Amino acid sequence: MGARYDAAIIGTGPAGLSAAVTLKIRNKSFILFGSSSLSEKVEKAHEINNYLGLPAVTGAGLAKRFDEHLKQMQIEINEDRITGVYAMGDYYSLQSKSNQSYEADTVILATGVNFGRSYEGEEKFLGRGVSYCATCDAPLYKNKKVAIIGFSPKEEAEAEFMSEVAAEVYYIPAYKEQVSLNNKIKVVNDTPVAIEGKIKAQKLVMKNGELDVDGIFILRESVAPSQLVPGLVAENNHVAVNRRMETSLKGCFACGDITGTPYQYIKSAGEGNVAALSAVSYIDEKRRANKQQNK
Amino acid sequence: MVKKISGNELKTAAASGVAVVDFSAQWCGPCQRVAPILEEVSDELDGKANFFNIDIDENADAADEYGITNIPALMVMKDGEVVDMQVGFQPKENLCSFIGQYL
Repeated sequence: MGARYDAAIIGTGPAGLSAAVTLKIRNKSFILFGSSSLSEKVEKAHEINNYLGLPAVTGAGLAKRFDEHLKQMQIEINEDRITGVYAMGDYYSLQSKSNQSYEADTVILATGVNFGRSYEGEEKFLGRGVSYCATCDAPLYKNKKVAIIGFSPKEEAEAEFMSEVAAEVYYIPAYKEQVSLNNKIKVVNDTPVAIEGKIKAQKLVMKNGELDVDGIFILRESVAPSQLVPGLVAENNHVAVNRRMETSLKGCFACGDITGTPYQYIKSAGEGNVAALSAVSYIDEKRRANKQQNK
Repeated sequence: MVKKISGNELKTAAASGVAVVDFSAQWCGPCQRVAPILEEVSDELDGKANFFNIDIDENADAADEYGITNIPALMVMKDGEVVDMQVGFQPKENLCSFIGQYL
């Protein structure tokens, strides 16, 4: 584990990037998690007409300007995928897919709204047979039957890992690419609909069949904010924030689409700026309080 | 203090009063993060509730018996009976109010 950053920003759309630019100007140490291709949503936009100063810019054109801005300010992007953000009290501990740990005084969430809809019964059985991390909970399914729903070919590695532990593994790909797995894993080409059970999840119901299993793993590209940050208060599937972009957790800020409509690039950029400035005040206040205490 | 115990010891240890049992494992990131917070909470609730930790790798039978399918799992027992269970990491305030309802 490296040093503790002033802030960790998660997301490289307009909100996250705008927060990063502001933190850089305010001379704070931060780590920016996301994709070097920035934001798929920006990249794919046909034409944007209300981004101030850039009339009729294409999505690709806007992304290029963003990239130039980052380069000019020497802001780097870390592509490690964050799977959990934990409020430790006076700091945050972040865990990544590659099992790295990061620490920061504040967190700025700017992950957008591409987390998709949950299956019927998914929330009810979460923690009772439904899990989002195969590598985390695999040892609990030793000699048991497991179904894994993978949303990208990247998840096949998790299925391989599970097959070393569990008695039976079913893999349901929720994507079009070719699936390549060892022959211990049974690939099921069907569409999941619901998760059923009594106290624990027992069955995955699909359009054309059912699977009786002990555990169901749902591996999406990104998870809902309250899954990513346990304890965070959500409001209609968005993160609840005030005008300072403060969430229900002290030191955790949110900005962009994740806070709700309107889903506009310029609104996201504005919120990123506010979130970063609020984080700056929080960090400065915390430092003053610590100094006072040490006197 | 959170006392590390084995699955066999649980029934005697939790026989009377409120017991909070944390099922965890060395390899589980969220478990490692909840541990120091639980330690703090246990000190604050000293005399009101007893805190135990059970490693599920060393006590697979206990994990099975109590239906642990994901960890960290926090189980609350009152006079030896399981009264509630919470799964996953939670910040300190949430843990306190979760446990507080049984004190």
